[in-house]
Amino acid sequence: MWAAAAALLPLPDYYLPPPTAVIAAFVELVAKGILPAYVGESLRRILLAAVFGLLVGVPIGVLLGMSRRVADFFHPILNFFQSVSGVAWLPLMLVWFGFGERTILIAVNYTVLFPVIFNALLGVRSVPPLYVNALRTLGAGRWRIVTDVVVPGALPSIATGLRLGLAYGWRALIAAEMLVGAHGLGFMIFNAQNFHLTARIMLGMGIIGTLWLLLDYFLLRPLEEATIARWGLVQR
Amino acid sequence: MRLLRHRTVVFLLVVAALAAGWETYTTLAAPRRLAPELAAALAREPRVNVTVRLGFAPEEFHIRLFQGYGVVRGVQGTTVLLDRVRAEDVGRLARYYWVRMIALQ
Amino acid sequence: MSSLARTLRGAAPFAALLAAWTLVTRAGLVSPLFLPPPSDVLRVAWEQALDGSLWINLAASLGRVLLGIVVSVPLAVALGVVVGLNRRLAPVVEPIVGFFNALSGIAWLPLAITWFGLGWASVTFIMFNTIFFLVFFNTLVGVRTVPRIFEQAVRTMGGSRRHVILQVLIPGAMPSIVTGLRLAIGFGWRALIAAEMIATSTGLGFLIYNAANFHQSDTILVGIITIGLLWLLTDRLLLQPLERRTIERWGLVSNAP
Repeated sequence: MWAAAAALLPLPDYYLPPPTAVIAAFVELVAKGILPAYVGESLRRILLAAVFGLLVGVPIGVLLGMSRRVADFFHPILNFFQSVSGVAWLPLMLVWFGFGERTILIAVNYTVLFPVIFNALLGVRSVPPLYVNALRTLGAGRWRIVTDVVVPGALPSIATGLRLGLAYGWRALIAAEMLVGAHGLGFMIFNAQNFHLTARIMLGMGIIGTLWLLLDYFLLRPLEEATIARWGLVQR
Repeated sequence: MRLLRHRTVVFLLVVAALAAGWETYTTLAAPRRLAPELAAALAREPRVNVTVRLGFAPEEFHIRLFQGYGVVRGVQGTTVLLDRVRAEDVGRLARYYWVRMIALQ
Repeated sequence: MSSLARTLRGAAPFAALLAAWTLVTRAGLVSPLFLPPPSDVLRVAWEQALDGSLWINLAASLGRVLLGIVVSVPLAVALGVVVGLNRRLAPVVEPIVGFFNALSGIAWLPLAITWFGLGWASVTFIMFNTIFFLVFFNTLVGVRTVPRIFEQAVRTMGGSRRHVILQVLIPGAMPSIVTGLRLAIGFGWRALIAAEMIATSTGLGFLIYNAANFHQSDTILVGIITIGLLWLLTDRLLLQPLERRTIERWGLVSNAP
């Protein structure tokens, strides 16, 4: 269908390149080593953000969620900071750190972090007090309660938070790469637009979408489903 | 053992295997891309001036990459003139699969 | 608890944040170039409100969001229902839409610029794109996952096809649709801000990116706070009531925060 449209419509090639041009661009960019390098950069950044989000976000979220009053207090603030995505903070980050890798990483890490914190907090709050009290009457110390009941109970929420955070984060990464320009897929498609290399743009877009689908289908959704199946206490 | 057939595990294993295989290949293929007299020059001096021949005309991406390894003096067709490259960086350059040959200027 | 008390409870953490912010800047811990004190930010906000620039940018951004919603959502829901009902078409369309869904947002910008040039057309296109595919996908999935037994129950009670659609499928798909709407507006806002930074010269995204060029941290913060407030307002005034009326009315479980 696409090939037909490209062939039939009286548009210049740079407007709507035929699929063959996109495939050719793919071959060319791989042969020149450009595509693997850019894909690697973007993937590296998003994985760093995922690790950061988990390592930092989960403890903070769990901690904040442990007390009802603390959780209620921080709820609106977390909601606010989650909705102001990392991309909105980019200009301020540019003033602070200039154009470089660090700016991109900060923006993307921020974007992934808040949904994780927020959902970890919600997950902890959704653990029925019955379970916590049961363990307490059995004489368990606070730490054991956390590790045996609270964290497993919050895991489905945390997995959802990670999935959402990375969904936002992947898009924020592409945007940040367009704006800051330190290599990566976002930079690639933005740069290609300057040179009217539309086939490269479409190729980049296809790869961006495909990478997200791969990440989601093979890693994030199974994680979410596994945690729900094993520790899911609350009906979603 | 059912875990091993889950799509996530298979996916990760495949990715790991591909990555390992690729690393091995590039490491093994690298020395062949260095011109013989290069080894002698590297033994003598800490920094050498090299020509890096590619299979295509270099793009902005490649020039910027090379600037991280030395001083780009010029481009002639598919060859880049790169000055003051350190010994270990020459090895690193040779590991890029899209580099055809590195020789002395 | 009275509504006033609840609002105060909600505002308390922000008051605390404001206090912390003032303290940090007054104590001279950070240079005012990096983090201007709240008084500076308020002053800039006031200036911009007075000379109209704040309102112009705010209206531009908000207008684009609303336009995107008003045009895309009905179309997406309608198409989602139509395709979802067609049992042969749905399995074919679903993966395609899923792919475009994954692609949504800012990744379309370079292509949009190629097709429409810089300016509001590209930005609006991105909005349509993002909102449309998300809502379409969620509607499609929602309609398809309504258990067949409900449909059959209505049929056995003598209901016509129209009955089935109106009374079973659409309410059954509602949670999915509303979730899709919520997500779509969330993603839409983000894509909008990013697009405005790159491709146009009005709007909140442009405001903050432009201010970065002049190192005007106070203006940037004005923009950021405005963006956050607008989203909170949209969420509270539009989406939560919508969720409450549709999901809770039809007695179905709602999702997430």
